[in-house]
Amino acid sequence: MKFVVGGAYQGKTAAACELFGFDESEIVNGSVCVFEEAFTAKCINSYHRLIERLIAEGASPLDFTKKLCAENGNAVIIMDEIGCGIVPVEKSERRRREETGRCGCMISSASDTVVRVICGIPVFLKGGRNED
Amino acid sequence: MTTLVTGGSKCGKSSYAEKVLENFAGQKYYIATMEPVGDDAYEIIARHREARKNRNFITVECPRDVGKLHLPADCGILLECIGNLCANEMYTGGAVLRPSGKIISDIRRLGETASQLVIVTNEVGSDGNSYSADIMAFVSEIARINSGIAEFADNVVECVYGIPTALKGELV
Repeated sequence: MKFVVGGAYQGKTAAACELFGFDESEIVNGSVCVFEEAFTAKCINSYHRLIERLIAEGASPLDFTKKLCAENGNAVIIMDEIGCGIVPVEKSERRRREETGRCGCMISSASDTVVRVICGIPVFLKGGRNED
Repeated sequence: MTTLVTGGSKCGKSSYAEKVLENFAGQKYYIATMEPVGDDAYEIIARHREARKNRNFITVECPRDVGKLHLPADCGILLECIGNLCANEMYTGGAVLRPSGKIISDIRRLGETASQLVIVTNEVGSDGNSYSADIMAFVSEIARINSGIAEFADNVVECVYGIPTALKGELV
C-alpha cells in the first residue's frame, strides 16, 4: 500500500497522483463513498472522514481498516493528520481522534511507502521515490 | 543522552520512547505525570501500565515538580508526558500559571542525573481551532517547553501515524 498523510489542503491528492501515477477521476472520496468501494478502489482520499462515518454507523474503524489492508494491498490511502491539537472535550470526538490515530498506524505498518505532504512538498517517511 | 518524542494522538510516541530504553542495562524509572481525574484517565493509565509490564520500569508518580525527584545517577528515565505535567502546573485552582521556564529547568536537571532521559510530549497547536485564553496559554506553554527541551536534547523525534522521524539527532 501507499499512504499519503498531512494537514488539510496541503496538496496531498495532487502529490499522490503525481507520485503514484493515477488520475483524480480514479479516486474514491471517503467523505461520501459506499464503504465497500474502499476494498477495491485504486485510491481513497479523506480516509479520516470514512473513519468518522464508520463510527457514526456503529462500525469498528479498526476492523474495517484491517480488512482494507488485507484485501486492497495495492491501494493508495490519503488521510489528514488530525491528532496534533488540544484533546477534545467531547468523549466521542476523543474517540474519533484516537481511532483515527490507530488506523493510521495500521495503514503505515501495511504500507511500503508513506509520504507526508507539507506545503505541497512530499516528504518520504517510509520507503523512497523509486520503490514501487 | 536526552531524547524528546513528540507527535499527535495515538501515533506511537510511547512505543518509540520505550524502544529507546529497551536495551538500557541500568535501572529504569517511569515518571507518570497523569493525575487520575476524568473518565479516560484510568483507561489510559491501565493501557500504559499493560504496555510497560515486564519492561523493568519502576513507576514514580509525579504530577508536578519533577525537578525535585531524587533518582539515582546513571539511571534511565522515561517521563510521560509534558502535556499532563504542564496542565498540572498551570491549572492549580487559582490564576492560570505560566510554568514553561520552570519545567524546562526541571527537565534539564533530570537530564543531568540520568544517563538516558526520554521525554514524551504532545503536538497540540495544529488543529486550527481557537480556544479560550486559558487554553491558548496551554498551547503556547507546551510549544515553549518543547522548543526549550529540543534545544538541549540530543535527539528530537516526531512520530507520524506510527512512523518515527528524526527532527534532530538520530533514531534508534
